[in-house]
Amino acid sequence: MLLQQILNGLTVGGVYALIALGYTMVYGILQIINFAHGEIYMIGAYFGIIFIASVGSNLSVSILLPTMFIFAMFFTACYGFTIEKIGYQPLRKAPRLSLLITALGVSIFLQNYVMLTQGARDKVFPHTISENINSSLAHFFSNILPQKYVVHNNLRILNAQISFIQLLIILTSIILMILLNLLITRTRTGKAMRATAQDLKMASLVGIDTDKIISTTFIIGSALAAAAGIMVAIYYGRIHYFIGYIAGIKAFTAAVLGGIGNIYGAMLGGLVLGLVESLSSGYISCEYKDVYAFIILILILIFRPQGLLGKRKGEY
Amino acid sequence: MAIKKYLPCLLLLCVSACKKEDVIRIGIAGPLTGDQAKMGYDLINGVTLAIDEWNAKGGILGKKIVMLKGDDRRDPREAVSVANKMANEDVVGVIGHFNSSCSVPASTIYNEAGVIQITPASTNPKLTEQGFKNVFRICGRDDQQGLVGARFVLERLKKHKIAILHDKTTYGQGLADEFKKNVENKADVVAYEGIVQGENDYTAVLTKLKQQTPEVIYFGGIYPEAGLMVKQMKEIGLEAIFVAGDGVIDPEFIKIGGKATEGVYLSFGPSVKELPTAKHFIDEYTKRFGEIGPYSVYSYDAANILLSAMERCKNTERDKVAETLRNIKYDGAIGHIEFDEHGDVKVAPYIFWVVKDGKFVPAQ
Repeated sequence: MLLQQILNGLTVGGVYALIALGYTMVYGILQIINFAHGEIYMIGAYFGIIFIASVGSNLSVSILLPTMFIFAMFFTACYGFTIEKIGYQPLRKAPRLSLLITALGVSIFLQNYVMLTQGARDKVFPHTISENINSSLAHFFSNILPQKYVVHNNLRILNAQISFIQLLIILTSIILMILLNLLITRTRTGKAMRATAQDLKMASLVGIDTDKIISTTFIIGSALAAAAGIMVAIYYGRIHYFIGYIAGIKAFTAAVLGGIGNIYGAMLGGLVLGLVESLSSGYISCEYKDVYAFIILILILIFRPQGLLGKRKGEY
Repeated sequence: MAIKKYLPCLLLLCVSACKKEDVIRIGIAGPLTGDQAKMGYDLINGVTLAIDEWNAKGGILGKKIVMLKGDDRRDPREAVSVANKMANEDVVGVIGHFNSSCSVPASTIYNEAGVIQITPASTNPKLTEQGFKNVFRICGRDDQQGLVGARFVLERLKKHKIAILHDKTTYGQGLADEFKKNVENKADVVAYEGIVQGENDYTAVLTKLKQQTPEVIYFGGIYPEAGLMVKQMKEIGLEAIFVAGDGVIDPEFIKIGGKATEGVYLSFGPSVKELPTAKHFIDEYTKRFGEIGPYSVYSYDAANILLSAMERCKNTERDKVAETLRNIKYDGAIGHIEFDEHGDVKVAPYIFWVVKDGKFVPAQ
């Protein structure tokens, strides 16, 4: 049961971590909480379903999965880019509070925009396709893994059992986080991003196009959120215009838990939050799992106000 | 500037004030947006059909009937503000709300204002136990339903190891409590837990249940959570018979849960399609709105019974209509309806349904 709960927690936590990255990256650079980020995740999920509805059913899984991810991540990134250009860039010199309120406004706008254009009802991801994805993944992994781990298209480790879509969620989150890490530590863009995060004005003085870097940050954050959205749509199979709200709050909590502004903190925070939720509902009570998650958050904020991995900053 | 802002409101006020005299207004309240929006529109369609039929016959007392919609977004706070709005808008009665957690707080407002409330779907006993003279219910009650559910599990399924889950709402927990009360002494209740409504992942609590190897899981709640749960039960390999109440009986449940919904048992009223009295309703409804929702027929009858009470007492005053409703004998699409001293229907026949080949069929 412990192993099963850990795997359940990692699935949920991986999704939280991917969304939390968007919060933390924007905070790192602009020092604002982009409250519209949860809605970006919701839009990503909708793009996944739109893609399936328009072309999906005829493609084989090996083509379907990558194209769906690219399609949804691209268009969601466009949304992130546009929101930053329209909503936040004109306010670059305004007080932080104006940006915060704009972010709330964008969030409400996006929710209602999706509700009006896509309808208030649940959208359901076709079962045949998610089953198809699962069995193809099972087939793929059964070539790699020993036979005893694959039971009825599910992955069985000891007495724990998860579907291959769950495994896909865990693996994809890890791979995307590694890629992001490489981008930030190994490339020129990453270096410029780090510089901009340290000091926006100074970075522009040494010739970094900070507007471009900020746009890049929004694009990357949105693409990651879209990946999380698609995976949630495939695995849980049900989305509606309001899913961004709860997911946004959870991911924001994860970002703060790990130390907002710190990318590894967001990853760790997401996973910790997912694990706390599943272990507390497994061993104590499901009724109060959010309470335990927030108790952990409060404790960490009391004893380590900068979060798990955050750096202590001086007073401005 | 300011006058410009308020101009539309002023105009609206004028329009409603002008209209007040020559129409009869009845309200319909339920979740019209959000994850239960479909249920809300099922109710609206039923009421629309009833009103249009009355209007085609020339209305009541020579007046046209107009419907006023209120969206409670399944949120008790919204329900209270919708109720206040309805009370101020001079409606005779309100068909609604859908969720018990909305109907109960709203009923206090309706009671103060004297507005008649007929709920087509809220099954929590408390609603009609408050001693309000103007509150009626056209569906069954959870204590009746919980008892039927308990008997079904113990006597028909013959299972005695039971886990109970609920969604912490007035309806869900109420139903789960009634069920628990009736099985407690005769069976082994291995778990009793609440879940958070509106989330996606219930694997953690289901994994915990798996350890306790229940034969039956009884769920008090609504279809979105139920659909996700049966699907995730299959994924983690939890094999138990899933039994739930009337909140789960909706085609969306099968869409969300997919194949995992096969063999799920649900308590609900008898099949509308098999009721000879409902033939007219079925024909007209499908012609105009397509697929019939599980509560459409109840809202249709609720509207009809309210309107015929007005016609019988030749009055649209709320008190007079409520008094007529107390003693009314009405033959509706779901059959003969009479209210008892609480405002509940005298006969509430619950039967069990099972999901078979992607459809709800009465359980044999």
